[in-house]
Amino acid sequence: MIADLGAEVIKVEPPGGDLTRRRGPFPNDQPDPEKSGIFIYLNANKRGAVADLKRPEGRELLGKLLAGADILIHNVAPGDRAAQGLDSAALLAAYPKLVVAAISPFGETGPYANWRGYELTLSNAAGWATLSPGASPYPDLPPLKCFGSQCEFQGGIHAAITALAAYMHRLKTGKGQAIDISAQEAVAAMLEMNFMHWTYAHRETSRLGSRLLGPWFIADTADGKIFALAVEEDQWKRLVEFMGNPEWASDELFKDRIARGQNQDALKALMGEWLSQWKTQDLYREAQARRVPFAPVNTMRDLYESEHLAERKFFATLDQPGLGPVKLPGMPSKYGATPWALRRPAPRLGEHAEEIFCGELGIARERLNDLRKAGVA
Amino acid sequence: MANLPLSGIRVLDFTWAWAGPFCTMQLAHLGAEVIRVETTARPACVTRLIPPFADDIPGPNRAGYFNQYNQGKRSITLNLTRPEAIDLACQLVRHCDIVADNFAAGVMDKLGLGYAKLRSIKPEIIMISMSGYGQTGPYKGYVGYGPPASAASGMFFTTGYEGGDPGEIGVSYPDPNAGIFGAFALMAALTHRALTGEGQYIDQSQFETALALMPEGMLEFELNHREPGRHGNHDPVMAPHECYKAAGDDEKWVSIAVGGDEEWRALCRVMEKPELAADPRFKTAALRKQNETALDQIVTAWTNTRDRWDAARALQTAGVAAFPSMSNKDLAEDPHLNERGYFALLEHSEVGKRQHAGIPWKMSETPCAVRSPAPLRGADTEPVLKSLLGLTLDQIEHLRKSGVLI
Repeated sequence: MIADLGAEVIKVEPPGGDLTRRRGPFPNDQPDPEKSGIFIYLNANKRGAVADLKRPEGRELLGKLLAGADILIHNVAPGDRAAQGLDSAALLAAYPKLVVAAISPFGETGPYANWRGYELTLSNAAGWATLSPGASPYPDLPPLKCFGSQCEFQGGIHAAITALAAYMHRLKTGKGQAIDISAQEAVAAMLEMNFMHWTYAHRETSRLGSRLLGPWFIADTADGKIFALAVEEDQWKRLVEFMGNPEWASDELFKDRIARGQNQDALKALMGEWLSQWKTQDLYREAQARRVPFAPVNTMRDLYESEHLAERKFFATLDQPGLGPVKLPGMPSKYGATPWALRRPAPRLGEHAEEIFCGELGIARERLNDLRKAGVA
Repeated sequence: MANLPLSGIRVLDFTWAWAGPFCTMQLAHLGAEVIRVETTARPACVTRLIPPFADDIPGPNRAGYFNQYNQGKRSITLNLTRPEAIDLACQLVRHCDIVADNFAAGVMDKLGLGYAKLRSIKPEIIMISMSGYGQTGPYKGYVGYGPPASAASGMFFTTGYEGGDPGEIGVSYPDPNAGIFGAFALMAALTHRALTGEGQYIDQSQFETALALMPEGMLEFELNHREPGRHGNHDPVMAPHECYKAAGDDEKWVSIAVGGDEEWRALCRVMEKPELAADPRFKTAALRKQNETALDQIVTAWTNTRDRWDAARALQTAGVAAFPSMSNKDLAEDPHLNERGYFALLEHSEVGKRQHAGIPWKMSETPCAVRSPAPLRGADTEPVLKSLLGLTLDQIEHLRKSGVLI
């Protein structure tokens, strides 16, 4: 996010490369560290170099890099930091103007500071998976994680915000500082009103049960699926009219949004036939024309083909060596004064080592070759 | 005032519902003075009106939803259907650095509070509009909420149990996500202004902020012309990777995710099944992924008879990522979150001391803390109009009587 807005970001990878280089998605499912979709998305606009921070020569390289850096962002686990030269207090003692944003699953203090966390366990630790999918009638099915790497992304976004805040503080005072970001805590603050159900009304939340409001469900259409929703009474009135004022709509079972939530199975069965006659995009457009907040259950293809996203120029095309042009999701905030652009592809492993280490940090070429032979750089 | 990153920054906050207030709460956390503009003239200030209410007694100042996402802000009431109120808002803009809204596209313009107008009042103003679909494009007028944004962004299509239908995702995630992206955009704009003196307008689409978090799915389609499919809690690479039923009722589960070979061997040790580590079906990560159904049965047989916390602790001690599926009650009582001082617990004049989710970061030089509980509706109308605009008590009383300050 910060590179996209113009900062010069140097991505320092361990000798084997970043973990995401091994996660894909890869073209034709052929693993290739230079062709991982997620790596490319997350690292476009950066330059890259390798330094093995587990070895003293690698930490020496890190030191040279930090001498010219404003911000250091990392997500090395708290227990592994000191050995890699990333202990926050030691960094600040050596570089008092540096902003250090350190992301971890559970923060760097407290009983779980050294616990491991992957996306799945984080979404459970933060109380999200436990709520999902929501209003489920199947107690034997487990809590469900959302697609993708949402908790990890939130750790990153919170780090981007606080790193800029610390940078602003530095502009005013000249002082750097260290930030401890907990992904668990970031996501636990994003649970809608579910946390307060306990602290305000002593109700424990669950993925089971019924919807607070209705209609609120996914239904089949003639060619896909629609998310049918009406949260306000006036939206429901317009929806009933749109459906042609069916007789059942005036039944006591559906008298208000709360009743419609409780009797959603009946509602879904009755609305189902009407919904199934529509094509998804037509229904979306016609419902929205009546200010009824339906939305299509879009596929990835739907998104790439969306006329709205095309007109907003949301997608950005990256010419990634070895892959050719790749259409990536672009910046979701359009800045009037500081527009965003893709400036360079994601770095190949170690691509900018010479340029950075020799050209900018003054390390002799022979020394870099030695470090390469030793597997440090 | 404490020396916080945004000390001295003032925000005029027209946001409502969830996405916008989540954005401006981050600014309050970082030290900004956030003045929330509310009105009783419009019936749907949803978060003050829906449960949970403190002890189930309804009241606009008793709603957990509002009190959670408006911590640390001030509240004034302005009846924006009245030209006098718009005039007061414009006068306030002169004293502010940021104006934020999350109305449907075009609403601020219609109110007479569009960016062109605000800029003419204060050239260096930063304004962000966080609408459902953005200010341009064919869907700009569409009604957006978080749950439909989950559907539109592909989150429903890609989430769900293996072999099952598209699933919902439990919370209205695109709402706080739009807010957090908005907070980042504002930090970037503030940085730009600090360096150049220039303000700007930011047009943010909730739909697009959700898409920014879908790269694995979108690139599966872009690179392989294939939809990503639904795989429950399973992972494309790691196995075992699931929520497993633990001893106890329907709500007791423990999630376990195993990355490399070392973690796999540790899991076998903790389950007291050393022979598994040598089992040819599970020798490599690729084989474990291939045989994950058998693996899930083996792990379930172990977790079924174990307390979820005992299982998680034993695994974490051995270096395996595991965590119980936490409910709201589990979070509130969690010793780790309490020891880190995560929860904000401030005295609120109507609901007393209640736990709220607090600030998920700690800054060494500028320690952020929730400085005040969510405001009572309109609590700051008089002090703000007096101190910023120099209005007298008589003038304020007159405005109140004529319905401008409701």
